[in-house]
Amino acid sequence: MYFKGINSYGDRGMVLDFGDDSSKSISLEVNKAFSTISNLGLPLLNIIPSFNKIVIIFENSQIRDQNKEKITLEMSDIKSQSHKSANKTWKIPACYDESFALDLKLIQKLHQITKEEIINLHTSESYYTYYIGFMPGFPYLGDIPSQLITPRLATPRIKIPARSIGIAKNHTCIYPKISPGGWNIIGQIPFDIFDLQNPNPSLFLPGDKVSFYSVSNKEFQQIQKKHFSINELIKEYSS
Amino acid sequence: MNSLVITRTGTHLTIQDFGRFHYQHLGVSPSGAMDQRIIKELEKIIPLHHNQFIEFAYVGPSIKVKEGSVKVCVGGNCNMNIQKNNGTQIICQPYKSINLFEGDELNIHNTIDSVYGYIAVEHGLGLDPCLKSFSTDTKAGIGSINRPLKVDDTFEILEDVSSWDHLSIPNPDYKKETNFKVYPGPQLQFFTDQALQSFISSTFTISAQSDRMGIRLKGEAILSSQSHDILSEGILPGSIQVPSDGQPIVLMRDIPCTGGYPKIAILNEEDISKISQLPPGSQIRFDLQTIY
Repeated sequence: MYFKGINSYGDRGMVLDFGDDSSKSISLEVNKAFSTISNLGLPLLNIIPSFNKIVIIFENSQIRDQNKEKITLEMSDIKSQSHKSANKTWKIPACYDESFALDLKLIQKLHQITKEEIINLHTSESYYTYYIGFMPGFPYLGDIPSQLITPRLATPRIKIPARSIGIAKNHTCIYPKISPGGWNIIGQIPFDIFDLQNPNPSLFLPGDKVSFYSVSNKEFQQIQKKHFSINELIKEYSS
Repeated sequence: MNSLVITRTGTHLTIQDFGRFHYQHLGVSPSGAMDQRIIKELEKIIPLHHNQFIEFAYVGPSIKVKEGSVKVCVGGNCNMNIQKNNGTQIICQPYKSINLFEGDELNIHNTIDSVYGYIAVEHGLGLDPCLKSFSTDTKAGIGSINRPLKVDDTFEILEDVSSWDHLSIPNPDYKKETNFKVYPGPQLQFFTDQALQSFISSTFTISAQSDRMGIRLKGEAILSSQSHDILSEGILPGSIQVPSDGQPIVLMRDIPCTGGYPKIAILNEEDISKISQLPPGSQIRFDLQTIY
């Protein structure tokens, strides 16, 4: 059990503290608490999980204080509670062609490995979705094989193409939209992962498992043409 | 049919409401009106606003009735007039309802000794919500209208004015606040007593590089004794984060959803609205409260 306690965060917020470290087992506890508290039906405005904290905001301090006890009680036996995970397991097609993999050469040089080894390593693991942040629908996935651990770009790019796959430190990610950013770009996926028209706009949720498989540029183009909706993507690529 | 058209945009013209909630865990910022006190006041005059307010900063827009007639009300301290269809000009006041008829143009010149102002239109602007809110987040490209408003943007108001009666409330005449009570931020312990002492005893100046995302402050550098780089975690509007240059940033309505800078303190909700109205160059001080 990593949970340390609840602290106030301003007049209407609180932080659930799981310590200062980051690991998959801490994250598993964070995301279990996140989904348990989310499903209590509390009158909260936002609940935001990250590596080792959960921040919650209420309409005002009174409502916050009224609900603090319920959350404390829930957290006191979070470990023993059975938890039906609603999380999905994804297998996501990825194209690692040079035209998409803007930083592949840089990583090859840095780690003295071939393009094929990079693809094999990146597709070898099932990654854990730590949380969604930075921009709408952006998943922090990890941990990548140690041979691929790469620092962020010294100078961030001004424009990273939408759907790009990045790696930085021990994480990998997907940029939902065109964006500035400092992750090393190694490929691209053929569909959008955030859809404003959908009441559940994000393809990935905290706690989901995500793995990639390599597709040719031709297969990539074919999938891209299908313009899958979020609901179709769920049917096609998750279990 | 009643319709309104934007004939001049002024600056930072967007649609806002009380905020977009329940999506921050998916990376979606709460957004919403910078000064929520004002749209609450406008609610008293235009109860049927449908949560579709027009927000402007410094220089207001001109809006013209293209067809039919509409009832509007402006909130905030601004200079404005109505250019009537028949050529006459009428000076008008905020917090008083205004009936506008075909060809009438409302010109909002500027906000006085403040930053943000708002227009409420009876029956709203005919917009559809996006993720349960009308607010625009221009950085993320989210909103009923996912960009700042521009000239020729036209809004159809589907229902007719409910009554021509003039309604008004006294101008709330908000006192300009420059001393802010703040509460401990999640990384307060990152700062030495000396750093905290300079945080509460020095004066900060609001920088011109401030926007809906954050208000940048200039003053004595506040240095953290630990790191200025923490593991990213959820952040709330009003948080005062301190990057490695020691110059604090007050995070406002279009916050990044998670952040990796230590947060020394946080303002309460009411004060987020108050601080949003201070123009660049304003000098402010913080008073750190021990408990909330």
